Amino acid sequence: MPDWVDPVGHYMLEQGLRGTLELAAISLVGALVIGVVLGTLLTIHFKPLTWTIRLYIEVWRGLPILVTIFIIFFALPAISQELEFSPLTAAGIGLILWGSAQVAEATRGAVGSIPREQHEAAAALGFGWVGRHVFVILPQALRRLLPPVVGLLVNIIQNTTIAQVIGATELLESGERSVERLTAPPPIGLGEIHAFEIYGAVMVVFFVLSFPLTRLAAYLERRLA
Amino acid sequence: MRRVIGFALVIACAAVAAAVAGAAQTDAARTAKAKPKLPPLPAEVKERGRWNIGIKCDSPPFGYIDVQGRNAGFDVEIAKWFSRFAFGRANRVSYTCVTTPAREPALTTGRVDLVIATFTYTPDRDTRIDFSRAYYKATGRLLVRNNSPITKLSDIAGRTIATTSGSIYDRWMKNCFKDTKVVVTDSFTNALLAFRDGRADALMWDDTVLLGIAVADPNLKLTDDLFLPLPYGIGIKQGNDAMKRWVDSRLNLMSKRDAFMPLIKASVPAKNLAAFSKNVLRPNQVFYYSKGDLTTQCQ
Amino acid sequence: MSVVAFEWGYLADYGGDLAAGLWRTIYVSAIAIAGAFVIGLVLGAARAHRVPVVRQLAAVYVEVIRNTPILVQIFMLYFALPEIGIRLDAFTVAWLSVMVWGGAFNTENFRAGFEAVPARFHEAALGLGFGRLGTFLNVTLPIGGRIALPSSINTYISILKNTSLLYVISYPELTTTALQINALTLQTVETFTVLAVTYLALVWSMSAGIRLLEGHLALPETR
Repeated sequence: MPDWVDPVGHYMLEQGLRGTLELAAISLVGALVIGVVLGTLLTIHFKPLTWTIRLYIEVWRGLPILVTIFIIFFALPAISQELEFSPLTAAGIGLILWGSAQVAEATRGAVGSIPREQHEAAAALGFGWVGRHVFVILPQALRRLLPPVVGLLVNIIQNTTIAQVIGATELLESGERSVERLTAPPPIGLGEIHAFEIYGAVMVVFFVLSFPLTRLAAYLERRLA
Repeated sequence: MRRVIGFALVIACAAVAAAVAGAAQTDAARTAKAKPKLPPLPAEVKERGRWNIGIKCDSPPFGYIDVQGRNAGFDVEIAKWFSRFAFGRANRVSYTCVTTPAREPALTTGRVDLVIATFTYTPDRDTRIDFSRAYYKATGRLLVRNNSPITKLSDIAGRTIATTSGSIYDRWMKNCFKDTKVVVTDSFTNALLAFRDGRADALMWDDTVLLGIAVADPNLKLTDDLFLPLPYGIGIKQGNDAMKRWVDSRLNLMSKRDAFMPLIKASVPAKNLAAFSKNVLRPNQVFYYSKGDLTTQCQ
Repeated sequence: MSVVAFEWGYLADYGGDLAAGLWRTIYVSAIAIAGAFVIGLVLGAARAHRVPVVRQLAAVYVEVIRNTPILVQIFMLYFALPEIGIRLDAFTVAWLSVMVWGGAFNTENFRAGFEAVPARFHEAALGLGFGRLGTFLNVTLPIGGRIALPSSINTYISILKNTSLLYVISYPELTTTALQINALTLQTVETFTVLAVTYLALVWSMSAGIRLLEGHLALPETR
């Protein structure tokens, strides 16, 4: 192995990959929490509420994630100094907005597919709306949500790379910085281009992260559907 | 008798000591009046005990990530000097990687105290942020292939030139070379690729970076023209006069001590050192900002 | 720049540049969607019919593209290929990257569609004297294609949205153009409002238009 590989590998895995995984974890949790709540609320037949949530879903699913992240990172601070976020935070907010819209849509379908009898039985047992949903409906709906949520996790992991564009320290950005350094002439770098090896390695890492999850989603789909 | 001589000696020494002390005191008083105190560290930085400084992370030799994964580069070294000046240690800095479009917002929102990131002064930028005195003077150069029909600046008429979008070069060519087709990209690397692809006949950018490329590639060279002197300044939030005074005074100190030369020596190949020593502040040197908009001044 | 003082003159000054960027977004998306359709159709059929060799190669293609981020694929095509001697210009990388990405997802869409065609239709076709190719062209494709329509549509809309990522290679589509204008003028609120509204208009009208088409093309039993 050439000399340059070791330090570059350490930097990319220790700092780059860590940023990727942190961003993915936070985005997934945020998307799930907000998405399940919104999706459940969507089943209530109250037009103003339904339309507001529907608007939320259509906007964050309709915009490219990159544009959403640009808006959070560049446009919000122009409106108010308080709304200023670091690259990773801005990317996280963007991914949560998009992810929660996806989860809300899937949750609506899952909750809607629970038969009326379940609602009626729970009501007969004395549960209120919230109790009914928390203890009876959602546990069943969440089982049906499992395959698409695993699929969403794969998408979130891959979409964390969009944070590279605003300079967040995640895997792809760490690779790009390493390529830049190596391309510079000595004494800083080697004056050599190693873009193929480095970006190729990034692809391999993402494949290793995503492929098992994709398989898992397909397996769950077959078993639970 | 010996006791008298001994006594006299002691008195003599005491007298001499008193005289010297007295002279030193008047001397100190004189120098204290002659040497004005350096501007104090701005309060917000002092309270925090650290600097927040925005730097580039993918632009060697000014700001990049080194082999150990740490921030390094000419601009980063200046940040370390500031840390030493302020706190006596070089590591009291929190670095924030800024991309080109993020430099101004980082200042206006207070995310960073200073931006030391190849920040070229322009009168337009000056309306939104403040600049320190210039600490580095890049010049625009043209990178061409060895057998290129472009041998001087005026040859770019009717040809395609690559550069970065929103840059001084972009605006200058649009104003002064109306029959030149300009291919703009969001980063220098993309502009270089466009030139190498053959999508452009030449590449216009800062001499610092182009020189490294011309040196590394025997098929490329720079034309002789030097144009658009582009002093880099340190970006400061608008209105923060205390910060500007502090930064300017310390840059003066560094210039007097010729502190920039070792920084450039560590950043460029030895054979280019002579060329680059003209770009850094030497003792008693001043780089001026052009008050007018250079991009509208056609040669 | 406060929200209240939105400069309407902005559109007059920069509308032309943004329109040019929008045109390139649509143009690149159209090429990629057409290509992804063909790729999906051919490889989906190959996988559904278990054509030897082609189906294994298609499987590798699909799994690699679907399990790696499209942004990294763009980086590979534009920044890494030159290292091994293949220098593609920005426009080629633009349509090629989103086409290859969309084609992989579409392959799965069509494969699922073809495999969902009930077996009795195949048997009926064979009983009527159609050969394998005839069965495919007259039965599997029309029916399986319609089953695959909703998921294909989602892929085509994603192709359109993913063209925004071409910002990283500075191909002057809509997002890149808007960011360049922002870099020059710093009229941030105007720029991003126009950008967001344009994409929503594009995506929503594409969605709505294709749902109409879906209605017309739907199988009789699903109407």
